[in-house]
Amino acid sequence: MTGETKLTNLQGNHACALAAISAGCDFYAGYPITPSSEVAERMSVELPRIGGTFIQMEDEIASMAAVLGAAMGGAVAMTATSGPGFSLKQENIGLGIITETPCVIVNVMRGGPSTGMPTRPGQGDIMQARWGTHGDHPVVALAPASVAEVWSETRRAFAIAEAVRTPVILLIDEVVGHLVETVAVDANPEPVTGRVWAEGDPANFQPYEAGPSLVPAMAKPGDGRRAHMTGLTHGPDGFPTQDPATASAMLTRLFDKIETHNSLIERFEAIDCEDADIVIVAYGISARAARRATSLARKAGLRVGLFRPVTLWPFPETAFRTATKSAGRILVAEMNAGQLRMEIERLTSENQHVEGVNRFDGEPITPEAILTAIDQSKEQAA
Amino acid sequence: MTQLQKTSFKASDYRSDNTPIWCPGCGDFHVLLSITKALVELGTAPENVAVVSGIGCSSRIPAYTNCYGFHGVHGRSLPLGAGLKVARPDLTVMVMSGDGDGFSIGGNHFLHACRRNVDMTYVVMDNRVYGMTKGQPSPTTEPDWDSALSPGGTGLSPFHPLVIALASGANFVAREFSGDIKGTTRTLVEAVRHPGFSFVEILSPCVTFRPDERAWKTQIHAAPVEATDDPARAARRIMTDDGFNVGVLYRGNRKPYNTHVKDTAGDPAILEEEFEI
Ligand SMILES: Cc1ncc(C[n+]2csc(CCOP(=O)(O)OP(=O)(O)O)c2C)c(N)n1
Ligand code: SF4
Repeated sequence: MTGETKLTNLQGNHACALAAISAGCDFYAGYPITPSSEVAERMSVELPRIGGTFIQMEDEIASMAAVLGAAMGGAVAMTATSGPGFSLKQENIGLGIITETPCVIVNVMRGGPSTGMPTRPGQGDIMQARWGTHGDHPVVALAPASVAEVWSETRRAFAIAEAVRTPVILLIDEVVGHLVETVAVDANPEPVTGRVWAEGDPANFQPYEAGPSLVPAMAKPGDGRRAHMTGLTHGPDGFPTQDPATASAMLTRLFDKIETHNSLIERFEAIDCEDADIVIVAYGISARAARRATSLARKAGLRVGLFRPVTLWPFPETAFRTATKSAGRILVAEMNAGQLRMEIERLTSENQHVEGVNRFDGEPITPEAILTAIDQSKEQAA
Repeated sequence: MTQLQKTSFKASDYRSDNTPIWCPGCGDFHVLLSITKALVELGTAPENVAVVSGIGCSSRIPAYTNCYGFHGVHGRSLPLGAGLKVARPDLTVMVMSGDGDGFSIGGNHFLHACRRNVDMTYVVMDNRVYGMTKGQPSPTTEPDWDSALSPGGTGLSPFHPLVIALASGANFVAREFSGDIKGTTRTLVEAVRHPGFSFVEILSPCVTFRPDERAWKTQIHAAPVEATDDPARAARRIMTDDGFNVGVLYRGNRKPYNTHVKDTAGDPAILEEEFEI
């Protein structure tokens, strides 16, 4: 890495595609859906240029399955979709989590539920990202707020997926996906590294035996190691088991490996929070309105701060608690009926009042709406 | 000698130490045997063969082989196998399924896998019943087959996988019977060697929920005519045969799905020109 940057105008979805390629992505499987299609369009042009594979599958279930197959074979793989397609991918996302298959799933969020408002923004999929696939499981989900951050978070999504051996979900707002911004990108971006292939004697290889990193080395098909991947609960040998101790150990390790890699995974921004009476919590495009609102409020002499999780899952709990230490009132601004607010209520104390600034009509939240909410909250506190 | 250096193999080299949990007499035991025998003949090292499956009794098969196994979710083995093969054209990919897994929940993937014509082999162990979930009707079940879920039968027209495979563009179509190990082995060898998407339906009795299928061994007979390369002709024959003709029924010559072989190894330098404004 030279540190040299170049300025370029990019649409968010194109930034996602190009950042993916810069990170080393060489396989894309997908199915067209608004507002994510530009990711696929760009990948279909770029991937053949680097000898990679773009494949349009018959649906999103197949796309997700193809990504898992390719990734296990050695590809750095991704798919992109929106609302309805994200729903269809869920079962295979669970398979990716339990088989520990590195991959990136982009969801350019639109207004929902169901077909909803395909061309309008919404942030209604954040709990689906957390709990969309059945059963207990850890999840990593990132929510960039600008085109520049789409670039950096896409790269980070691959870095996490490869190093931690897990699917990573990238939640991009429709507004960000379609926004064209000038961004400074690394002139010589390096591919992310981190995938650990098994080495040494293939004879006694255990495909799910993990060292202190809690991430098992992957068996590359064809290199002489016998490996069995299964969606069934399995032990270190990869074969199904119903033994309670083994089952418990498998799931515990899946949770723990995410926690162990927290420094790689967690990212957040806390602005003007140290002395804040009111902290706004917002992510994605809503955080940009919140940023404007907090700086206007500060100018007006109010002690208002902003906490912006870039990593939504696992939620940066400790950082959030630190950022809201002095705050008696917390406003959660999001384009849904209050999904992150539930998480925030869980993390706050009795003396902290939590309110939502919500909108789910297909329009982004404005700084004015947040300022009004700050004023009202202040009055209630008085 | 390590497996990597080995150039010839025994059937046992392809079997893992796991004991199958199938019912005694299940046709799938024979399918497993035929697969190992076919792989011996093909001479491909176990680690260069990927066996991909979905969910069902039949889909348990990867764990019983010594190949690279991927036991995925119900009905989605074909796209998973396609992703693997496209990313790793050097591997021999065999996708293993059951009639519920492959024709019901995975039915749409079946059509598109035939169309896409990725060079892999698709084996469906057809027992005309959902074995694993204890005996419900599947897409290939006869309309009058009585069960708790469909008293008196479903009354529905059975799915015709071989004809559908032909209509959808599969490049090789065959029917076999699990009990005919010699015939099944021969056909599997040919299916793997044949370029593009090869589909082999293996009639494999479920002795527990379809004891009547024990009679299949008396009903099976070799296809009376040679395989054809004309899909319309093959389809007409299959539509009018008694369902127990076994052997290769169709050999096509469509070009397989184009898999890239990477040469620039994901060189992101190629992106440089994108960043000029
Ligand atoms: C999404 C989903 N739906 C339902 C099931 C339950 N299920 C497991 S196996 C099976 C049917 C298997 O039948 P078939 O493919 O014919 O295989 P067989 O057991 O007869 O070999 C079903 C419905 C499942 N595992 N996943
Ligand atoms: S239930 Fe049927 S298909 Fe399943 S193992 Fe038993 S005999 Fe075989």
